[in-house]
Amino acid sequence: MIVEVLQTILLVAIAPLITGIIRKVKAYLQSRTGPSVLQPYRDLRKLFSKGSVVSKDASWVFSITPYVCMSAILVAALLVPVVYARAFGFVGDLIVLIYLLSMMRFFMSLSALDTGSAFGGMGSSREMYISSIVEPTMLLSIFAMALVAGTTSLGDIADGVATNGWDLVAPTLLLAAAAFFIATLAENARVPFDNPATHLELTMIHEAMLLEYSGKQLALMEISSMTKLIIFLAILSNVFFPWGIATDLTVLSLAGGLLAFLMKVLVLAVLIAVIESAMAKMRLFRLPNILTVAFILSLLAVMSFYILGAT
Amino acid sequence: MTVEKLRLIVEELPPELHSKVRSAKIRGNDLRLVTGIDDLASLAKHIHGVYQAPLVTMHATDDRAAEDCFKLYVVLSPRGMDAFVTIIAALEPRSQRFVSLTPQINEADWYEREVQDMFGLEAIGHPDPRPLVLYDDWPQGEHPLRKDFPLDRRPPRIKGEYSFTKVEGEGVYEIPVGPVHAGVIEPGHFRFSVAGEPIINLEVRLGYVHKGIEKISESTPYWRGIHLAERISGDNSVAHSTAYCQTVEALASAEVPERAEYIRTVMLELERIYNLIGDISGIALDTAFSVGAANGYLLRERALNLNECLTGSRLLRSVNVIGGVRKDLSANDREKTLSALVRLKLEFEDLVDLMVTSTSLLDRVETTGKLSTEMAVRLNVVGPVARASGVDRDVRRDHPYAAYDRLNFLVPRGAAGDVNARTRVKIDEVRESFSLIDQALDGMPSGPIRTVVENIPAGEMAMSLVESPRGELVHWILAGRERPYRHKIRDASFCNWLAMEEAVLGNIVPDFPLINKSFNLSYSGNDL
Repeated sequence: MIVEVLQTILLVAIAPLITGIIRKVKAYLQSRTGPSVLQPYRDLRKLFSKGSVVSKDASWVFSITPYVCMSAILVAALLVPVVYARAFGFVGDLIVLIYLLSMMRFFMSLSALDTGSAFGGMGSSREMYISSIVEPTMLLSIFAMALVAGTTSLGDIADGVATNGWDLVAPTLLLAAAAFFIATLAENARVPFDNPATHLELTMIHEAMLLEYSGKQLALMEISSMTKLIIFLAILSNVFFPWGIATDLTVLSLAGGLLAFLMKVLVLAVLIAVIESAMAKMRLFRLPNILTVAFILSLLAVMSFYILGAT
Repeated sequence: MTVEKLRLIVEELPPELHSKVRSAKIRGNDLRLVTGIDDLASLAKHIHGVYQAPLVTMHATDDRAAEDCFKLYVVLSPRGMDAFVTIIAALEPRSQRFVSLTPQINEADWYEREVQDMFGLEAIGHPDPRPLVLYDDWPQGEHPLRKDFPLDRRPPRIKGEYSFTKVEGEGVYEIPVGPVHAGVIEPGHFRFSVAGEPIINLEVRLGYVHKGIEKISESTPYWRGIHLAERISGDNSVAHSTAYCQTVEALASAEVPERAEYIRTVMLELERIYNLIGDISGIALDTAFSVGAANGYLLRERALNLNECLTGSRLLRSVNVIGGVRKDLSANDREKTLSALVRLKLEFEDLVDLMVTSTSLLDRVETTGKLSTEMAVRLNVVGPVARASGVDRDVRRDHPYAAYDRLNFLVPRGAAGDVNARTRVKIDEVRESFSLIDQALDGMPSGPIRTVVENIPAGEMAMSLVESPRGELVHWILAGRERPYRHKIRDASFCNWLAMEEAVLGNIVPDFPLINKSFNLSYSGNDL
C-alpha cells in the first residue's frame, strides 16, 4: 500500500524533471546550453506564488478545470505501475485510465471555449479533431497487451509480462508499442503534432487551450500536462517493456525497479528530444495520416495476437 | 539613349493625351509631365499599360502657400529602361478632390488611401476609401502632412470604429489576432474570416507604429535626416540611408567618389546577408525544425558580429553620410571580411543542405501560401517575394546605383510563388551577395571616401531607388531650405502587404505564421 502511494508521488515529483531533461537535450542538439533541468520546478514555484487573473466572462467551468485536470491525472497516476508492478489495480483498470484522460481533455476543451477567446476555440477544435483518432489507438494498443496478459489491470499486465520473461517478445508487443509511442507524441503535444516551444498562437493545439490561464491555475495545468507525459512514458516502459520492474517487495528488487524505471524513462525522454529536433512539425491536415498509421499498427497488434496463436 | 527613349514616350502619346500635356521636361533619367488633374488618370493609365510601367510611388504635396493648391505626383518606371516618368498634376485651387487611379491602376490603392489620410484629399471613385494610416480614434479633418498642421500638434482622441470586411455564411467565423502578439515582433492586426481551418478572407490593419517620419523629416536638416532614414525600418538601415543620401546627392548634382560607392555596396550586401539568413532561419523556426533554426540564427549572429567589427554597429548604423561614407575600409578590414565570409559561406551551405533535404520541412513549405505571377504583377509586388513568383525585377540591375553596374551578379527567380520558392530565392540571393562582396572588395579603387555636398537648390526634386533585403524602396524629396519640403518614403513592405492577403487565401490557419514569415514584411517601414 505504502509502496503504491510512494511510487505515485515519485511519478508526480519527477514529472517536471523529465520535461526539463527533454528541453535540455533539445538545447544541446541546437548547440545551446539551455536552462537547467530544474527550470520547470522553478517555473512552477514562480507560478504557484502568483495570483490568477480570470476573465470576467469565464464561468465556473473555467475555475474548476485546473482542479479537475489535476485530480484526474493524480488518480490516473495511481493506476500506473512505476517501480513496483502492483499499482492500485483494484480501483480501476486501463479503461478507467483512458477515460480519466478523456475527462481531463473534455474539461480542458470546455474551459478553452468558456472564455470565448478565438484561440481557445481553435485549440479545442483541433484537440478534439486529433483525439478522435488518438483515443482508439491508445485503447487498442493497450488492449493488445491486455490480450497477451489476459487482464485489463495495468499492474497485472506489467507483472504478467515481466514474470513471463522474453517469451512474450512477439510482434504483438512491438506493434502495440510503436502505436502507443506515436499516440504518446500526439497526446502530449509534441513535435510533429504540436510544437511545445512555439509562441505562435495560430499554430497551437494544446497550448492554445491554456492561453487564458495564469498563476496558480496555470501551474496546475502545467503540472498536470507534465504528469500526463510521464504517465505515458511509464505505461510505455512498464506495460510494454516491464523487465526490471519490482514484482516483490524486497528492498533489492524495489531499488532495481527504481533504477530500471529511471533508465527507461530517460531513454524515452532523449528519444522524444531527438525526434523533436530532427523533424519539422507536420501540417495540421496531415496529422490524420500518421495517426491512422498508428491506429493500423495497433489493429495489427491485436490481429497478430490471434493469427500467431494465443498460448 | 535614355533621353531619346523618354522623348519617344512623349511623341508616341495619342493625340488626345498629347494635347493634355502642359509641359514635358527631361531631367537626368526622369521625364516630368505636367498635366491637369482630370487627365492624370488617363495619362498614367496609358504609360502604365503601354510601357508596362509599374507604379513606383504616388504621393501629394501641399503647395497652398506658393500656388494655392495641392499637387499629386505619380512616378512610373517603364519596363526595360533605366528611366522614370513622373506625372505631376495640380489640383484646382482650394479643391480637395481628384479622380482615383485605382480603378485603372490597381496598385495605386494604398497610395491613394494614404494621400486621403495624410492630406485630406478625396479620391473620387476609390473602391475602398477607409482610412489606412490614421487610426480609429483620430478626429476628422486633421491631416498631418498638411503644412498648416504643426509638428507638435496632438489632436484629441475621439471614439471611432474601423469597419472590417464582413464575411458571412454558415460556419464562418472571425479570428482577431493582434495588434499585440506573443513574441518580440511588431504590432499589426490580422482579421481572419475562416470556415473551419481554411482562410477565406484576411484583412491586415496596420498603422500602429506610425511615427510621423515624413513629417519629422520636413523639419530635419539633410545631414541629420540620415539618422532618421536609418530608423525607418531598423533592419534596413543601410538601404534607407543610402536611398536618402543618393536622393540628396542627386538634388545637389554631386558626384560620390567611386570608393564610397564600393563601400556602400559592401554594406548593402552585408545587410542583405544578415537579413536573409534571418528570414531563412525563421522558416525553420516556424515549422518547429529547431536544429535548422538554431544553426541559422548562429550564422546570422556571425554576420552581425562581422558588421560590428567593420562599422562598430551590428545593424550597420551611421555608415553613410551625404556625399559618401563615414569610415573607410582598411586593408585589415578587408582581410577580416574575407576570412569571415569564407567561413560563413561554408556554414551557410551546410544550413541549406540541412533544410532542403528535410522532407518534413519541405512538406510544410511546398504549395503553402501561393502567390501567382498574375497577382504579383497586378499588385506590383517587389523584392524576393516578386521574384519567387516569377517577376524579373531587381533595382540593382534595372536601375543600377552605387557600384552595381560594375559588378556581376544574377537575379535569382522562382516560379511557384510558394513559401518554398521564396526561401529558395532568398538562399540564392545570399549566395549572390557573397560573390558581390568579394567582387566589390577586389575591385575597390583607392581614393577619397566622401565629397562635400552643399548648395542644395530649393524647389528641386529627386528620387532614389534601392533594393533593400525586402525589395525596392524609394525616397523622393522635394527640396526646401536646407531640409526637405516634402520627403516621401516608400518601403518595400508597403507594396507587399496586400499580396499577403492574397497569398493566404485557401490556406489553413496554422500555416499563416509560416506564410507571414516567408514575406517577412516590416511594420515600421510600412507605417512610417
